[in-house]
Amino acid sequence: MITWLNHHLQAIKLVLSRMRSNLLSTFMICLVVGVAMCLPSLFYLAVDNLSKLTDHMKSETEISLFLKLDATAANIAEIDAVLAKNTAIYQYHLVTKDEAWQQLQEKSKDNPNISSAIGQLGKNPLPDAFYIQAKSADPDTLETLKNTLQSIPGVEQAILNADWAKRLATLLGIGKKLTFFITALLAIVLLVIIGNTVRMQILTQKDEIEVSYLIGATNSFIRMPFLYAGVLYGLLGGVLSVLMVGGIIQTFNYSIMEISRLYGSDFSLKIVNAELYLMIIGLAIAIGWMGSYLAVTRAISAIKIS
Amino acid sequence: MIQFDQVSKRYPGSDQILKNVSFNIGAGEFVYVTGHSGAGKSTLLKLIAATELPTSGTVLIAHQNVSKLKSSAIPFLRRRFGLIFQDHKLLYDRNCFENVILPLRINGVSEQEAAKRVRAALDKVGLLNKEKVMPITLSGGEQQRLAIARAVVSRPSILLADEPTGNLDASYAADIMAIFQAFNQVGVTVIMSTHDALGMSANQSRVLHLDHGLLTENPFMQKTLNLETAPTEKFSS
Repeated sequence: MITWLNHHLQAIKLVLSRMRSNLLSTFMICLVVGVAMCLPSLFYLAVDNLSKLTDHMKSETEISLFLKLDATAANIAEIDAVLAKNTAIYQYHLVTKDEAWQQLQEKSKDNPNISSAIGQLGKNPLPDAFYIQAKSADPDTLETLKNTLQSIPGVEQAILNADWAKRLATLLGIGKKLTFFITALLAIVLLVIIGNTVRMQILTQKDEIEVSYLIGATNSFIRMPFLYAGVLYGLLGGVLSVLMVGGIIQTFNYSIMEISRLYGSDFSLKIVNAELYLMIIGLAIAIGWMGSYLAVTRAISAIKIS
Repeated sequence: MIQFDQVSKRYPGSDQILKNVSFNIGAGEFVYVTGHSGAGKSTLLKLIAATELPTSGTVLIAHQNVSKLKSSAIPFLRRRFGLIFQDHKLLYDRNCFENVILPLRINGVSEQEAAKRVRAALDKVGLLNKEKVMPITLSGGEQQRLAIARAVVSRPSILLADEPTGNLDASYAADIMAIFQAFNQVGVTVIMSTHDALGMSANQSRVLHLDHGLLTENPFMQKTLNLETAPTEKFSS
């Protein structure tokens, strides 16, 4: 246990002293990691915030639930109870046929054509209706909700007007896919870059590795400092990337808040986004570890054979 | 402690380096391996240190068959040995202290304990005052003594030295021999290959003589000897 701990402490010390003596190149590789992680993070932020923006517009996606014309007060109460239990519903309100009839007459007061047409109807043709806002703006969820509502007994028709939501969601879906592929491609690039850096380091330490093997070093002992180097590159690069993303969000926020104010909204990008930042750093560390693991495993078998 | 039984070694695409070599080395012995260059001395030492495996026959180190050891167990076998090479294999990017501490790092010894043992080892080879010096500035003899300090710092029970005096002039070589003898007197098994007779004359040591891969042994050496004619007794285990 103590031996194990000593090995790790020695490896960390060794890596830190190597990095200190190569400050510039260490900074460069961390910068590469940082910038490479920054790009997909910004993409992710853009897509994520756009989808949050659609949540802001949730009130626009409304399901109109028209009841049968012969619905009684008891029917309405029953449906009200069903809606109250549905967890997917954010809020809803009832407009009775009389209220609707009144509203229609009010609105058409100024337009003689329509008001005369309404006058000719003689009796109220409108049904009782519930207007429902869902919690989610996701078109699939809305569609399912619509179908559920449609099947409630006493409901004549449920109407969902969500074409624009569908279009936006499709675009966001494309954005998410794009983010995923950019992340994957840049992860591969980073894997290669870190792997190559570690491989160069191994070459400069070749004598030490050979001698260490001769005097009884295990593979894990040889590997450890290089793995720590990879992890540290990832960690420092990740932190650098978080700083850059934070700075970029800050500059964007000035303009975004201005636009939001014009639209009477308080929407702005979150600067502290712990989940995203942890994800960036975690991913960078994982890539650093993997890149150096692959490089060191290949290099070790080459050195052992020679 | 070290047992060779009908050991042969052949590298791919070359002649047989060792042919049916059998011998037995007990704890605390001082053994010379002699022979002309290319006779297989280095290969013999490499087989003992498990940096090479025999083509046929068995090598037993402390009752363990080296060929049958898992590759993960070999590093632990090597830690029983202190290895000394003709070309020192020192690391020239760090000072003497850092060179000697390497085996202790591998063994996971704590820094304070390691520092004490490094100084003790440097003291034994007379380099205590050169702790902070870079090895490249040392003379050939001093470099070899530094290599010895590195080999003994982890207190191995067996010292394997491959022509440690090969590149040194006579007075340096005598220094080195005196150090090996001192270790042997405190119970360390010393196995040393050499192509010259110098230094062997000092005591009645056991000699394993290799000639084109064949082993002959003459257990007791005369004061002066001619290695090419010395073999008298064919060794069989």
